[in-house]
Order: sequence, then structure tokens, then C-alpha cells
Amino acid sequence: MSVDTVVKPAQDAVHKRPKIVTSRQRVTWVSLALLVVVVAGVVWGLSIGSQQISLARLPGAIFRADQPDELILQSIRLPRVVLALLVGAALAVAGALMQAVAANPLAAPEIMGVNAGAVFVVVMAITIVPSLSGAPTILLSFGGAAAAGVAVMLLAGSGGGRVSPVRLALAGVTASSLLISLTQVLIIFDENSADSVLFWLVGGVNFAGWQDIRNLLPWLAVGLVGAFAMARPLNLLALGDDMARGLGQNVERTRMFGSALVIVLCGAAVSVAGPVAFIGLIVPHIMRRLVGSSYTVLLPLCAVAGGVLVLYADIVSRYIKPPFEVPAGVVTALIGAPIFVYLARRQKVTS
Amino acid sequence: MSAAIVAQGVRRTSLAQRYPSILMGSLCVLAVVLSFYSLSVGATDVSMGDVFNAVVGNTSDQAAQIVVQFQLPRVLLAWLVGIALAVSGAVMQGVIRNPLAAPDVVGVTKGAGFAGMLLLLAIPGLPVVAVVPAAFAGGLAAAALVYLLAYRRGATPVRIALVGIAVSAAFEAGIRFLLVRNPLDVSAALIWLTGSLFGRSMSSVLEILPWVLVLVPLIVIWSRKLDVLGLGDDLAAGLGEPVERTRRMLLLFAVALAASAVAVSGTIGFVGLIAPHMARRVFGGKHLASIPAAALFGVLLMLFADMLGRGLAPPLEIPAGLVTAVVGGPYFLYLLVKTGK
Repeated sequence: MSVDTVVKPAQDAVHKRPKIVTSRQRVTWVSLALLVVVVAGVVWGLSIGSQQISLARLPGAIFRADQPDELILQSIRLPRVVLALLVGAALAVAGALMQAVAANPLAAPEIMGVNAGAVFVVVMAITIVPSLSGAPTILLSFGGAAAAGVAVMLLAGSGGGRVSPVRLALAGVTASSLLISLTQVLIIFDENSADSVLFWLVGGVNFAGWQDIRNLLPWLAVGLVGAFAMARPLNLLALGDDMARGLGQNVERTRMFGSALVIVLCGAAVSVAGPVAFIGLIVPHIMRRLVGSSYTVLLPLCAVAGGVLVLYADIVSRYIKPPFEVPAGVVTALIGAPIFVYLARRQKVTS
Repeated sequence: MSAAIVAQGVRRTSLAQRYPSILMGSLCVLAVVLSFYSLSVGATDVSMGDVFNAVVGNTSDQAAQIVVQFQLPRVLLAWLVGIALAVSGAVMQGVIRNPLAAPDVVGVTKGAGFAGMLLLLAIPGLPVVAVVPAAFAGGLAAAALVYLLAYRRGATPVRIALVGIAVSAAFEAGIRFLLVRNPLDVSAALIWLTGSLFGRSMSSVLEILPWVLVLVPLIVIWSRKLDVLGLGDDLAAGLGEPVERTRRMLLLFAVALAASAVAVSGTIGFVGLIAPHMARRVFGGKHLASIPAAALFGVLLMLFADMLGRGLAPPLEIPAGLVTAVVGGPYFLYLLVKTGK
């Protein structure tokens, strides 16, 4: 993604809190920094592993494969890096959308049970039909994500009025743990290896192949383009429902489209990479700090930053216990959980 | 929210609330019968009469003796863990004044799980019994951490719940890190982590027994204080209750009970959350009645979960913690809808 497309005229943006109106200059710097980090991460991610590949040989090895390590690069490491970027983008944008749609700072796919729902349905499908893969898995994953998300929203919102962050978190965490338990029961019955247990509980890109990327890409394109197109309505939604309605917004429609995009993004990402934790919660918060809360700028930058986070988490995870492959979700959880604690602590709560 | 529950209890005095001892007695009988049934079913079926004779000690039936020797600790643990978790949950819900509070919510369960696993994986081959003190310390530390992080001129109940969820997530992340860091010992740790009464011996029973014997009566004696705290901080202080101190003591008791339960059985979810609700629904909001009742419901839940886990698909054993989560999760979500009004 080029820097020029990211930077939009600042007056385009409607800001919820005037104090974080960001200058175009700042956005440019953040975008440039992200770009550098992405490039560095891609090079790093391609070169390290059980078989080191020197920097000089990287460019050649991407395009032809005469040597064994070039084959490693093309069939294992390249898809892994690409998938990390894609999955991170999907989850981070989904998180930003969710926080906007639910008007709730703690709304995120992993907290609302969306990821756990997708995982449960996918594992169930694989248990029943072991050969299942590709499009049917992703569609089922959508179903699970949607059902869990809608259920949690309904349960948390049953009190009427604005859903409090606490109720949302409690309902979501409970639904998640229920779904995770059910998933574990399925895995026990299936007597799968510990590897697949960990994959579906933690999530990661260490089993990535080109097929995963082919499966993910169309849905991701729909989800991301749809999300970026929704930036303006989301900005209006951030002003509050009444104000947005006054400005001619169809608030319910914006919410519905936003939620549908969340389902598509999370469902697709989880079906190929498992429930990589906390990307959707922390990336939007960090980026909002850096570039302000205009979704025109925020959503594309979240996509890049989410990809960066998963990519680096995947790189770090390779250092944890070589030669074992550790799922990247472990690392993102370790980074994300303290930030979750910080966000929870910061909530203004009334009992 | 808690006010609504108290009001509900006052408004609608059911038969159970007028004659609590009768219903409590029948629940007790039910739990005992279920225990003997639990002893008698298994790989070898033994009649309940033989089991009873074996438990009191006047039998020569070899099979019954073996069954009792292996299953009795398990059933006793179901009782003790059920009581500990349920009473702990009841106290937390009373103190935090949030019907959604529970050992799982305030981080005790996950903290104890993390510490226990840390030790288990650090020293492979360690008997599971040795994990108890570590898990206990972990649970206490987690609860203290939650309290400290939530403390801003007093710890408001809602912030405790919210910070508790987040701290639980942090420990969960740590647990997963340990799991992947030690891929070869995972299966042992995983079994312990999902919460199960499988393969526990009499020594586990003795680990948890003193905590239950000391703390539960103490909490029942203090149940009046819980009622007072339920009136709200201002009113409670007006009635002469040192609110912050009482809250801290009661929370400490609750945490100790939950931690001891997790230490012997692993992380068994939802019992501490839903047993107190069942008790309040049936016996009303007065803690003198609802705490013992919660304990009984906790026992019934544990016995039921353990039996179901054993009997659903033998020889596969589904950990009791998964069964309680599958049964308790929906009930909790139903409660969430009910309390939203």
C-alpha cells in the first residue's frame, strides 16, 4: 500500500475528540515508519528459521528455486510471511470496525466470542468431515463467528439502552470460554495430536501454505475494501447515534454493514490461522493514539499495523523454542494481555 | 443489580424460603444418594448396597472394596471442591455486589492454574500433589494483583470485575506460552488444566479439607456482614461496618477457598459462578441460607459433572471442568439476560 493513498485531506475527517486532530505530517511519518517496519519484517521473516538464508540470496530465491533452501523459502516461508500480514490486517480492521459499531472500546473479536465461535464451528466441521478444507470451511467459519457475535451482543444488550463495557466483556468472555470448552471436548473425542489442539486454541501462521492464502484472499479483499469504503459513515457514527441521524446517516444500516464486514474478516482469518489473540483489541487502540480517530486514516493504517504485529509475533515465536514451531498467537497474547489490562483499568465505570 | 436480587427475594417468598431446612435437607439427601451412585457406577458395576457396606467397612466383597478405595477420594473431592468453589463464588458475588463475579472472573482460577503449571513444567515428574502450594500462591497473587490494579480510592465492584477479566486473560496467555514452550509435557499439564478429579488420591482430599473446614463455617458466621455489605457502601458504613476492611477479609477467605480448590482439581469453571445463583433463586438473598445452599448446589454440580464426564463415552474421560463449562456457560448467559432488566 503506497503512502500517498493513505494520506487524505485532514478536513475530510470528523473527529470525536478535537484534541487528537492529527496533522497530515504526522500521518505521513507514521505511514512511512510502518512501511519501513513492514519491509524489514518481511526480509527478517524470510531469512530466519531452522535454515538461515542470507540476505544476498533472498531476491533471487523468491523467483526461482534451484536449491533446497530456495524451495523452503518459496513453499514455506513466503506464504507464512504473506499470511501473517493478511491475517493481521483482517483482525485489526475487524477490531476497529467492531469498536466503532458497538461504540464500545472493549469490543474486539476475541473478547466478543467471535473468534471462539468461528473456531468451534470449524473444529466441529473438521471432526465430522476430516477432509474438509477451503471455501466450505470459511463459510462455516462465518456462520460460527456470526452466531457467536450476535448471541453475545444480544445477551449483553438485553438490559436495553447502551451496552456497558463490563456487560459486554462478561458476556463475551463467558461465551468464549464455553465455546473453547466445547472445542476441547471435540478435540478429546477426536483424539487429535497436541499440535492441532494448540493450533485451534492459540492460532498462528506456522502451517501456512499458498492454498490458505488463495482461500483467504477474496474474502479479505471484500472485507477490507468494504471497511475502507465505510470510513465516512463510521466517522459520523462516532459522534453518537443522534448526531449521526441528524446528519442524515442511516445508523442501523451502518451498524449492520459494519458487523457483516467484521464477520467476514474474522471468519476468514480464523478459518486459516486460528484465533490469533488480541490483534483486534490492541492495534486499533495503538493506532488511534498515533494518528487520531478518523477512520479514513485509521482503518488502512490498522490493516498495515495489524499485519506488522502478527508478522513480528511470528518471527519472535520462531526464537522461543527452536526447532519447535510455536504458534504466533502465543506471542500476540503475551503482548496483548497487559494492554488489555491497561484498557480495562482505564475504563470509566459506574456501578 | 444486587439490589434487584434482594428485592426479588423479599417480594416472592417461596415455599423453600419459608421452610428452608426441609428443602436443604432433601438436597443433602440427594447429594448423598448421588455420591453412592457415583461410587457404584464405573468400569465395574457394584450395587449401591455393597458400596454402602464397603464405605462403613463391614464387607468382604473384594470388588466393592477396590471401587471404594479408588472412587471414594474422587467423590469426597467432588464434595469439597464443589463446596469451596460455590461458597467462594457466593462470597465474591456478595462482596463485589455483582451477580456476575466469581473465582473465574476475578482471576483466581487462571492465576492458580498458571502457577501450578509453571511448577509442573519446571520440574518434570513432580507429583501433582506438590502443585498445591504453588497454585494456592498463584491464586492469591492473582487476586491481589486484580485488587491493586482496580484500586483507585477504593476498589469499585465493576472495576474489579473488568480488571479481573483482563488479568485472567494475561494469565491465560502465560499458560499458553508455557504450553507451547514445553511441547513434550503438554498432555499432563493439559489434563490438569482443564480441571478433573481423575486419579486423585486421599492426600488431595487432605490438602483441601482444612481450608473448607475452617473457612466455610467462618463465612457462614460472617454471613450477616455480607447482608450488610449488600446494602451499599454508604449504608453499610452508616450501620457501623468497616466496609473496606470487611470486604478485604471476606475476599481473602473467598480467594483462599477457590485457590485451594483449583490447587487440587485444576481449573473447574462456572461452579463458583452459577451455584450461588441457583441458591439465591431457591432460598432468597439472605446469606445465612444462601451460602450453605450454594455449597450444596456446588456439590451436586461437581458430582454430576464428574459422573457425566466418566460415563458419556467410556473409556474416554471428559474432564469435569469441561462438563461444568458446557453446563454452566449457558446457564450463566441466561442469568446475564435475566439480570439485564
